[in-house]
Amino acid sequence: MLATTITPSVSMPAPIDGAVAERAIVVSAQRGSDDAFAALVRIHQRRAYSVVRAIVLSHEDAEDAVQEGFLHAHRALDRFRPDQPFGAWLYRIMANAALDLVRRRKVRDADELPDNIALPFRDPAESGELRDRLQQALTHLTVRQRSVIVLHDVEGFTHGEIGRTLGIPEGTARSDLHHARATLRRLLQNIRSSS
Amino acid sequence: MTTNRRTPGDVEVTGALCVHYAAPTDERYWDALEARILAHVARGGEVPAWWYALADMSRPALAAAAILVIVAGAAVMHTRQLETRNAYDSVISAAPPSVETAARSASLGDGDATINYMLSR
Repeated sequence: MLATTITPSVSMPAPIDGAVAERAIVVSAQRGSDDAFAALVRIHQRRAYSVVRAIVLSHEDAEDAVQEGFLHAHRALDRFRPDQPFGAWLYRIMANAALDLVRRRKVRDADELPDNIALPFRDPAESGELRDRLQQALTHLTVRQRSVIVLHDVEGFTHGEIGRTLGIPEGTARSDLHHARATLRRLLQNIRSSS
Repeated sequence: MTTNRRTPGDVEVTGALCVHYAAPTDERYWDALEARILAHVARGGEVPAWWYALADMSRPALAAAAILVIVAGAAVMHTRQLETRNAYDSVISAAPPSVETAARSASLGDGDATINYMLSR
């Protein structure tokens, strides 16, 4: 079990995604090294956040999902085969954690969801009607469509990566992207044409 | 077959999506999140599970508490009414002491009663 005051002492591999270095860290974590697991968290937490943020509706939910995802990954670490890409395995776990959270929220807030969309945690330069309408329009997409368009257009995932992360066929990811874009295009038509 | 070619409008929407979904850039945020993740893993996730369970129970618990308050209030009112009724009943139904007993007990001690008895003979 990890101590609450862990300070990662495993140095970051350079480059960060160096497969060999990462494999060594994963093997070390599998042997029970808390520091190695902390290093994996440090390496992957940003990408993990992006994956879950594409699925859930708010920044706060994304934070919860990331924590749950890493907890699941820690528990399942023994079952991971180091010859596989660790990132793909981890992000699949993250996606499942986020989908679980979305399901729980749906059950709890089914009646309130349309009016209870949490705002982003920050409000930088984004402003104007397009932002507000976009936020509203995103609720008209299915969870999977929203995840696909964000992972593809924002995070730069390929269709294949999206399929592996969300556990859907690549063709489904492609189709979801098409429908998500069409829906947003339709819902945001007026505002875009008037701006 | 679907086509995913982007229109100029799609590019604008994608720009808005990128702003909406942009990850925090402050390094301190990521340091803090890393610490929270490790603490969560170290705890085994007990606290959030407990919290979720509590949150799920909050509405039924509030309803149950409201019912409990109503029932308790009704019970207190009922008890007070019973006590009041019993007090009235005890006053109304209690038999008054006889005049002789009352007068004797009020005016005579045992010695006086003996003297009175001797003088009367």
